Amino acid sequence: MKIEMTVNGEKRTVKTTPLARLLDVIRDDMNLKGCKEGCGEGECGACSIILNGRLVNACMVPAIQASGADIETIEGLGEEDRLDPLQQAFIDEGAVHCGFCTPGMIMAARCLLEDNAKPSRLEIKTALSGNLCRCTGYDRIVSAVSKAVDDGYRPAKSGGGKKASPEFEGDEKDRYFSPASLAEALDILAKKPDILLLSGNTDIGPEMKEGKLKPIAAMDIFTIPELKRIRRDGDVIRIGACTTNTDIMESDLVRDLLPALYQASCSCAAPAIRNRATIGGNCCTASGAADLPGALFALGAKARVVSKKGERIMEAPEFIKAYRKPDLQPGEILAELIIPIPPKNAYQRFFKRGSRAALTLSRVSLAVYVELEDGVVTACRAAAGSMSPTPIRLPKLEATLIGKKLDKICIECAVDTVYNELTPRKSAVYRKNLSSNLVRRFLESLIKENEKN
Amino acid sequence: MPSTQFKYVGKPLPRLDAADKVTGKAVYIADLDIPGAWVAGVLRSPVPAGRLKGIARDPAFDWSTVTVAIAADIPGINAVHMIRDDFIALVDEKITYNSQALALVAAPDEATLAAALAALTPDIEAVEPALTIEDSLAVKSRVWGDDNVMDDFRVNLGDVEKGFAEADIIVEHTYRTPLQEHIYLENCGMAAWPTPDGVEVAGSLQCPHYVHNALAMALDIHTDNIKVKQTVTGGAFGGKEDYPSVMAVWVGLLAKLSGHPVKLLYDRAEDMLVTPKRHPSKVIHKLGFKKDGTITAAEVDLYLDGGACTSMSKVVLARAILHSTGAYKVPHAKLRARAMATNTPPNGAFRGFGAPQAIYAIERQMDFAARALGMDPCAIRMKNVLRKGDAFPFGQVLEDGASAALILEDVVKRSDFLKKHSAYANQPEDIRVRMGVGLSLCMHGGGFTGAGEDKMGTTVEVEYLPNGNVEVLSGSTEMGQGTDTMLPMYVAEILQMPLERVSHPLPDTSRAPNSGPTAASRTAMFVGRAAVEAGENLLAKLMDYLGEKNGVRPDDYRDGVFYAGGKEAAKLDDVAKEWLMKRGRLAARGMVHPDTRYTWDEEKFHGTAYKGYSWLAQVLEAEVDLDTYEIRPKKATVSSEVGRAINPIQVDGQMAGGVLQSYGMGYMEDLTVGPDGKFSAHQLNAYLIPTTLDAPDFDVKVFEDPSPFGAFGAKGIGELSCDGGAPAVAGVVDNACGVYATEAPITGEKLFTMMQAKEEAEAGQ
Repeated sequence: MKIEMTVNGEKRTVKTTPLARLLDVIRDDMNLKGCKEGCGEGECGACSIILNGRLVNACMVPAIQASGADIETIEGLGEEDRLDPLQQAFIDEGAVHCGFCTPGMIMAARCLLEDNAKPSRLEIKTALSGNLCRCTGYDRIVSAVSKAVDDGYRPAKSGGGKKASPEFEGDEKDRYFSPASLAEALDILAKKPDILLLSGNTDIGPEMKEGKLKPIAAMDIFTIPELKRIRRDGDVIRIGACTTNTDIMESDLVRDLLPALYQASCSCAAPAIRNRATIGGNCCTASGAADLPGALFALGAKARVVSKKGERIMEAPEFIKAYRKPDLQPGEILAELIIPIPPKNAYQRFFKRGSRAALTLSRVSLAVYVELEDGVVTACRAAAGSMSPTPIRLPKLEATLIGKKLDKICIECAVDTVYNELTPRKSAVYRKNLSSNLVRRFLESLIKENEKN
Repeated sequence: MPSTQFKYVGKPLPRLDAADKVTGKAVYIADLDIPGAWVAGVLRSPVPAGRLKGIARDPAFDWSTVTVAIAADIPGINAVHMIRDDFIALVDEKITYNSQALALVAAPDEATLAAALAALTPDIEAVEPALTIEDSLAVKSRVWGDDNVMDDFRVNLGDVEKGFAEADIIVEHTYRTPLQEHIYLENCGMAAWPTPDGVEVAGSLQCPHYVHNALAMALDIHTDNIKVKQTVTGGAFGGKEDYPSVMAVWVGLLAKLSGHPVKLLYDRAEDMLVTPKRHPSKVIHKLGFKKDGTITAAEVDLYLDGGACTSMSKVVLARAILHSTGAYKVPHAKLRARAMATNTPPNGAFRGFGAPQAIYAIERQMDFAARALGMDPCAIRMKNVLRKGDAFPFGQVLEDGASAALILEDVVKRSDFLKKHSAYANQPEDIRVRMGVGLSLCMHGGGFTGAGEDKMGTTVEVEYLPNGNVEVLSGSTEMGQGTDTMLPMYVAEILQMPLERVSHPLPDTSRAPNSGPTAASRTAMFVGRAAVEAGENLLAKLMDYLGEKNGVRPDDYRDGVFYAGGKEAAKLDDVAKEWLMKRGRLAARGMVHPDTRYTWDEEKFHGTAYKGYSWLAQVLEAEVDLDTYEIRPKKATVSSEVGRAINPIQVDGQMAGGVLQSYGMGYMEDLTVGPDGKFSAHQLNAYLIPTTLDAPDFDVKVFEDPSPFGAFGAKGIGELSCDGGAPAVAGVVDNACGVYATEAPITGEKLFTMMQAKEEAEAGQ
């Protein structure tokens, strides 16, 4: 196929294959070698670039999704004799050692500064949390970004791209698709029910790299407008399946009304992955380790699937029916998640315990939703991730809490219940303990909060 | 001499290689365009121990399209030259570890390569492996020699029986530290070009002359017909000390057999599964103490898991035993250290090189002893710290740079350790998110152990080029630590010329003299000396020339001008250009000369083990969440004495980087070997290293006490920072939770298990 992109301000046309990694297109077809491969799985950030105004790992983006894109790479910043002030700050602050993480690190920092003119130290660290460095201990890197800010560095916002269908060639025309609307996508899906749907590609990208998945046909749905929006509709919030974690984090609706979902999105991986990984993808992956489904379960979300023939609406746990097996019939696509707006007396919280502070899979995740009236639990939904092949609701915990006055005895009862309800396969006692500790932490915080009110 | 007297040395200067790196122009091996290059792959053993009976080739595959190499195709000795030549290049018969190379394939493209590798089927008779130190000691499998003991060192001082008899208490524990993977951001990669009489190789590497000599031995090529070039190297930390020689032999062999340039670039999975790691350790450490905290005796039995062959184990082990009583005075000692062979991939060099394992044990011992004696962790250390005039158990008297007490006092003061330690120890029981502080003290001997530096013949050349620039030529490599800026700083200082005119090009063995491996924190200290002497010799050469020409030899040189009897004789640039016109190439060499004043007895392990020790004390303050069993580092206060900080901004970064790496070892980085002898992780989502959000804020203070042995007073700093973090993490957990680790890393599961044991013990009382 042929795609046209604007790379560092210049129009570039490239002939490649639809599922070629943008990383390879940039390095091999465009000879921009500043974009490095450290892992090829979105786990190191060495290939960070700015794609349509967002930080991404180039290794996670299939070329089909770059058609019409605006791309900024390290080569677009400055050259030796006229360095960008951010590059200069990295040099002056001693933030460059072996240099292999440096281009990606600078792009991540630049992307942050395009959106946030005066980030705090924590905001800088968070923005760079998907970019590994093994040399510096990060201290000087964070200082370099701070220095650029202090020196008045204000980069212009990178272009947002303009989606264009790639020019498919030969038999690609029958195998690869880049529809502009949901209706068009459903037409294609009706004819080709087995086609691989490409959204953020953060889950299937690594599978393709490991050779576990060798798709021969694919359809890009990442930017279909109907699948990429968050809106209030009466007493529910509708979130399109291709809404990214970043979109969720940036939504006032979600932050104000669905804080558990907001927390789940914030705890997902790191910025470049959050810019790609979608809520629908996280559900369709149907894996126990996924974070958003737990929050959705606790929030009482429903999944709406659509096809040419019509739609089906089901509870989110019914949709994620088995490991790697979402409830999708041939020709169907997950269109949106529908979440009831919680009443004023509702409390919700999502917890994640990974193996480090960012860019980590959950060892334990827990989402709890409680409605309280006069200190009595009137409604409760709870869900756990990483405990079983798919995320699960915790009906015993819920039953233990509903109708009870929230006090010390009730909390200990809930803690015991959840401990017995969970049956993780590996490190069972540890993870059961951890989960029940989190239930205690949440409920104790509720008592405190309730006392304050 | 204070740093103010120098123009460059001691100044926080920007790195000379930084502009290339921030613009993405730096060419790493994967960025190198190699026209006509074939790609290489390795057929590996799926079992940890066994016998290779043959390799079947699928007749359906067209073998004429590729080049296959097996052990019989190696023209020279089937071994990669290292300390002992026991690292087999390709399995002939005996398989000693999972992933061991059975055959090599080179193909014109990736698809053909994959097809060819899939069409090769090894016929293997598997045998029972020895996968742990215990397996190895019990000779569950004969991996190496008759008893699996690759090396066995002892240090004896005084009479330990007497020492322990004098003790009021004995503290004895068994400590374990894990495998640790380097995770240099750039994976290993190597390329080779066949030449009529030999081979050229380029790649990501630490020690070009190691690679050079390995090629000569395995491929039976005269050293004059080999050329090894370093490409910009994206981190190494010891991980590219020995292994690049292996890859070079493979691509060199395939290039010679196929007649094509051949490249072998690992992806992360292959790199993690097959390259060397930090040696796991088991240390049985026994110390006697007087009631006042004074150490009376030490008995140490230390084991390192060396993997299937020696690789670097012998020298890693030497450093481990010599650091096993840490920065403390021990009147009687009986120390023993053994490197055990197991059926796991050979372990190699990793920043610290045996010291982190040894320091973990001794520093935990000091914390355990403090508790047993009711002392605080600082007081017990201060009581025993080595001071000027004190001797190590191996007989070396500390003469210069005895800074342990100084930095310990400083770090404790700056971090407010004592107040915090006492407050955190008394946190109410029901507080779930607890704070803790951990203290550790360590030292690191700079340069090779024993007589290594005297025997090395470290050579550096300085060349004045026709364009007026100066190149420092050495085999020392830049891998992130700052060599390519530091060596030019030294030479610019000596030649008193602008730094921008001096550079240290990427080593090329056809041009650069052998300055020894870039390892052992030796570059600033020792290679620097050779660079300084080379600069001085260049000046002397020109002074001799002026002397011959003018009849009067200049007696002074300042700011680019030679003076004789107070009068200007000539400008350096003028006389250099005149030399170039009349005599051709203008270059001079410098060396590290053997120093016969100090001796090291390799048999008795006695004498001057290292010419200079650098010191580091740190206090880590961290949060420990007892609901989630998470450790969250908040603040690291580091005090260090490093001789002279040649480029302070670089030293600061090295400190934070090394310290964070050692925190990773302390609680996060978790790698084991499975029953199939395979590492437990091959992806960065399974083997985790700290991210920005895991890193504490750093407060690093560097003291200077210039060493008489290092260039401009430098001592080693590269590894020091990595030696003491893991015990500091354990100290945090002691303080925050009242549970006392003897194993790194303290993962969530381990912290949970310790807490449970504590609760059970308390319930049982």
